[in-house]
Amino acid sequence: MASFLPQFQSIKTTFDHVVLAVEDVSDLWPMVKKGFEERLPFKRAFLNNKTRNPVLVDELPAEFILTTDARLRSRFPQEQSLFWFREPYATIVLVTCEDLDEFKNILKPRLKLIVQNDEREWFIVFVSKAPAHNDQATKMAKKVYAKLEVDFSSKKRERCCKLDINAPDANFWDDLETKIMECIRNTLDRRIQFYEEEIRKLSEQRFMPVWNFCNFFILKESLAFMFEIAHLHEDALREYDELELCYLETVNMVGKQREFGGVEQGDDQATLLGPARKPLTQIVHDDSFREFEFGSIYLPVKQRGYSFIISFSKALTLHESMLPFCMREVWVITACLALIDATASHYKDGLAAPDVEKEFYRVQGEIYTLCRTKFMRLGYLIGYGSDIERSPVNSASLSMLPWPKPAVWPSLPSNASSEVLAKEKMILQDSPRPKHFGIQRKPLPLEPSVLLREANRRRASLSAGNMSELFDGRPNANDSSGPLSPLPKVNSVSMSRTFSSPGNFEGSIDRPMRLAEIYVAAEHALRNTISDVKLWESLSSIEEFEQKYLDLSKGAANNYHRSWWKRHGVVLDGEIAAVYHKHENYDFAANLYEKVCALYAGEGWENLLAEVLPNLAECQKIQNDQAGYLSSCVRLLSLDKGLFLTKERQAFQSEVVRLAHSEMEHPVPLDVSSLITFSGNQGPLLELCDGDPGTLSVTLWSEFPDDITLESLSLTLTATNNTDEGAKAIKSTEAIVLRPGRNIITLPLPPQKPGSYVLGVLTGQIGQLRFRSHSFSKGGPADSDDFLSYEKPTRPILKVANPRSLVDLAAAVSSALLMNESQWVGIIVRPLNYSLKGAVLHIDAGPGLRIEERHHFEIEKHEVGTQNMTNLDNPPENLSPVSTGVKQLTLEDGKIKLPDWTSNITSVLWIPLRAVSDGLAKGTPAGTVVPQRQSVVDGLRTIALKLDFGVSHNQTFEKTIAVHFTDPFHVSIRVADKCNDGTLLLQVILQSQVKASLAISDAWLDLQDGFAHAGKGDGRPASSFFPLIVSPKSKAGILFSIYLAEAPAKDEAKELQPVSILNIKYTISGSRNLGAHTPVAEELTGPDNDKAEYLTFRSELVLQRPVLDPCLAVGFLSLPSSGLRVGQLVTMKWRVERLKALEEKVASDNLDEVLYEVNINPENWMIAGRKRGYVSLSTKQGSRIEISILCLPLVAGYVRPPQLGLPNVDEANISCNPPGPHLVCVLPPPLSSSYCVPA
Amino acid sequence: MANTACFMIVSKNDIPIYEAEVGTVPKKEDAAHQHQFILHAALDIVQDMAWTTSAMFLKAIDRFNDLVVSVYIKVIHTRLMLLHDSRNDDGIKSFFQEVHELYIKTLLNPLYLPGSRITSSHFDTKVRALARKYL
Repeated sequence: MASFLPQFQSIKTTFDHVVLAVEDVSDLWPMVKKGFEERLPFKRAFLNNKTRNPVLVDELPAEFILTTDARLRSRFPQEQSLFWFREPYATIVLVTCEDLDEFKNILKPRLKLIVQNDEREWFIVFVSKAPAHNDQATKMAKKVYAKLEVDFSSKKRERCCKLDINAPDANFWDDLETKIMECIRNTLDRRIQFYEEEIRKLSEQRFMPVWNFCNFFILKESLAFMFEIAHLHEDALREYDELELCYLETVNMVGKQREFGGVEQGDDQATLLGPARKPLTQIVHDDSFREFEFGSIYLPVKQRGYSFIISFSKALTLHESMLPFCMREVWVITACLALIDATASHYKDGLAAPDVEKEFYRVQGEIYTLCRTKFMRLGYLIGYGSDIERSPVNSASLSMLPWPKPAVWPSLPSNASSEVLAKEKMILQDSPRPKHFGIQRKPLPLEPSVLLREANRRRASLSAGNMSELFDGRPNANDSSGPLSPLPKVNSVSMSRTFSSPGNFEGSIDRPMRLAEIYVAAEHALRNTISDVKLWESLSSIEEFEQKYLDLSKGAANNYHRSWWKRHGVVLDGEIAAVYHKHENYDFAANLYEKVCALYAGEGWENLLAEVLPNLAECQKIQNDQAGYLSSCVRLLSLDKGLFLTKERQAFQSEVVRLAHSEMEHPVPLDVSSLITFSGNQGPLLELCDGDPGTLSVTLWSEFPDDITLESLSLTLTATNNTDEGAKAIKSTEAIVLRPGRNIITLPLPPQKPGSYVLGVLTGQIGQLRFRSHSFSKGGPADSDDFLSYEKPTRPILKVANPRSLVDLAAAVSSALLMNESQWVGIIVRPLNYSLKGAVLHIDAGPGLRIEERHHFEIEKHEVGTQNMTNLDNPPENLSPVSTGVKQLTLEDGKIKLPDWTSNITSVLWIPLRAVSDGLAKGTPAGTVVPQRQSVVDGLRTIALKLDFGVSHNQTFEKTIAVHFTDPFHVSIRVADKCNDGTLLLQVILQSQVKASLAISDAWLDLQDGFAHAGKGDGRPASSFFPLIVSPKSKAGILFSIYLAEAPAKDEAKELQPVSILNIKYTISGSRNLGAHTPVAEELTGPDNDKAEYLTFRSELVLQRPVLDPCLAVGFLSLPSSGLRVGQLVTMKWRVERLKALEEKVASDNLDEVLYEVNINPENWMIAGRKRGYVSLSTKQGSRIEISILCLPLVAGYVRPPQLGLPNVDEANISCNPPGPHLVCVLPPPLSSSYCVPA
Repeated sequence: MANTACFMIVSKNDIPIYEAEVGTVPKKEDAAHQHQFILHAALDIVQDMAWTTSAMFLKAIDRFNDLVVSVYIKVIHTRLMLLHDSRNDDGIKSFFQEVHELYIKTLLNPLYLPGSRITSSHFDTKVRALARKYL
């Protein structure tokens, strides 16, 4: 039956559609042919599938063939049953007859004969040729047709239909179609049944020795083909599936391995699809053959085709030893190519759903890849290995693929010595292209094991050989070509021991083959194996080989791209690029390489990237794409250090530096984020005060293998709190050399606004090349958007504080200093957490104040406890910490430089100053109110201070300090007693005004005219009183006895001495830390030089002669007994009484107008009425008058009541009662009743 | 134990964050390239498969001659990929599960930045121990 195989194929080619037989009994076919064939292909057909379920077939092609046609005739019955699918599915009998007798006698027997064969499905088409107008003929035809129906149609089945040629009925065609369909359906059902039965029978005998797979195959295949003819694709596919399964089982059945086919010429070509388009050759396995054909379902075919190739390839492996050399590889290549051709020509874009389409392209890509791999293997075997890029993909595909295992490795034909020579030459000439940058890397292997060894091992004739000898025949074995990588050491050692016997290399057969010989032998063997001319052509020369290789790579890449398997696609792009690269088509190569690099770089597969990137760089360099080349170099440098040798990395760097220093046409900023990273230093961040410049220290990590010089460098600082303002750049001034690894650089930092800052971008220049880096920390993930959320919060590197006071200046003492004496004024300089290094103090003494420039200034550490420890009685020298740390300073140009040791501590600067006050202090009568404020204001002096400080004197602090100066004493006097002899005891009360103890050593009074000293007359009190010590703020009194002298002549004396002057000689002992103290000595002669320390205080006193002739008496009348209350009006009354008659001024009416005035303290009292006015008082002695003033007390407590004064009358003439000031009590206001709560 | 096995963890951005050759065969210099290449290419398939199945363990999704790629997809789309030549599915599955646990522990380390390379030597030691145990 196997002999039918070729026939089968041709049959399938011819009959790929349903055949309908036409039995043209009455020669009608030419007449109706057109009408019949117009109905083809059938639009809607309902057929039953294998499980007898109706399936709608949209388009069923068919052909009408006359039974007299050669194609339907002369078949052997056996063939018929076997290839039943090609037999007609229906027989249409065309008849016509116009005469009943003729029908009965001639036609009917003939028809009976035709239809008696039960196996056929038939029906009769009666063609009526009667013209429409000829009633007679029509009637006749009807009669005949009726007769026909009676004879041939049965109740079960209508087998007749009538076609009226002259008046065609529309229903006829539908009727015809239905009838044809019915026939086809029935035939199909029957044939399916038949085939199934046959197949079942054969399956049962499967394990019997006589069983023949070929028969089974033909039956099964026929069934499948029949389904396919009927457009029942699913069923067809199922059959093919089962068949394939069964086939593979059979192939792998151990007992069944008989002679494996494929030894004939042409068997290597696999034609899986499209038998109609190509001359047919097949793989014959044992007694089977295998073939697909489908019309329109590409994808499943493809998948099946692919998996079939894989599995059949495995089967071929099993039988490899029996097959011609490399049969398997060649078969796979041709199979793949055939599959690709067949499907690609059928498939058009957009026909299928997107995912189906994707899958289609994917499988297509897989097929291409498979084909490519096998093609490379063949290429390698015949010596084109050096033209195959040693990329990971090629290496992975080839080095894991075992060598072909023929029983005997092909040996060298006898007449091939010239070819061997050529190959030898080729090997010699072939030196691996030196890689760019001098990268030396062991090439990836393209072979599972050394070919030389493998080939020689498989040579039957080679019994023994010294393996080392194998390599000797080949010069530069170890370094010239990769594939010849030396054997593992262990092997070579053991082998040299085993095969150490020299000799027996004389015979060329026994001698191990050299590599070139292997190539040539393989080439010859392949020439025998390969029957496909095209395939052989593409292996015939390197150029052809490369072309085919490129085509296959492109095909695979394109299909993978279309299927969205971008990684597969891009990898193959890399292979295409390698070919372009080799052929110096750098533009294309660079483009493709860039795609590959982008993929690997994007996904961070650095090992793979390291393979491709140098190639890209080389292309870019040759193309003079400086920007691209630079960035490639930078990328190379930023790859993991372990991937390249230091030497290679240095080469990358030197390229970068070379380019950077050359004149670039289009300089572009270079992103070196991966190479130079930066971060703030460890430890606390730099804190600066507002306005201060600083120095920022930054850690830079350089990934360059060598030192690299940065011509300039700047870093931006970004404020974290204020995003509106752009980042500010800080720049380094000089070139920086970065060592590999960690570098710490410092950058000057100009004053910044308050806020905290983080590092932004690093920019700089290498040569002419600007670069920038964004990355903050080492080892962070590549800058991809997805990582933003993960990014470490950048640590602030700088904090500029808000403006605050950095220093404080204050006066050291609060109490008053001595007026008119040179005094130390202490200024406390207190830095507030800020260094005052190099600070300069400008001192500007205000009016009434003079700096004693002859003296040095002093500065000392300020001790808070000093004041507490002060003991006023001790001499100031003991307290003053001169010995412990007082330093002397000199004023220069109104400025003083503070010493450095004071920069961080609170210190006191002592300034010698003298407050100048003109005029003498005035003594007051005891008891009078002295306006204290006045004296305070008089003694107030100001010092304007300005402190320049900070790192670069950028900070300024200005303050004006008030210092209070005063006289040592306040002097008041009173007449203590009036003696009978007219001596007056004048009490001088001295009130100390300073916080220092004063020692009065002498005091005397220069009296004014009209007074004279009693007693000795030197104006001094008893000398034994002295020294009189006056404690701070205490009082002392000195009594002087004086008497009233006669007034001298008025004209001279009054001008001479209008006031008395009190002179006091005293010393002061106080601490300058507290207040008044010993004046600054002009020359420090020592503490025991007393004379120099005596100070003189002079005070003016006004002595009044006593009231000797009172004219008027003023008396304050008593207040109401109810007392005074705040808010209650009270009438104050005074009585004025004339004590002496007024003589000089005699008025006609005896009345004198007396002016009065009420003095009040407005804080305590309010006057309702006139404050000042005139009252009439009789000039007579004893006349009196009362003056009433309505007053309102404002303040509760003891207050001085209003006083009545008579401004026009000399005070000496007024006698007052009470004479001195007195106080009255004012009660608080009564509770307001409205706030009272009733009991 | 498997003769050849290359284990990799690939982050959701397809970046390899951990790799180890865990086979018994002494490591060839060029194997790393090939293995990486095969695993990288297998990402294409994983990408197709990952969204069509809910299983975490995708066994033998890709073959390369005798080598097989198995993948374990984590919820956050981190992929544990193993290139191996053994057929011990259960062992591989257990290996993946244990490594998964280890990886989660690493993730919990506050000093580990998710998506960055795993450089912990402890992790490495553990993975190799697991490989010896299961593969």
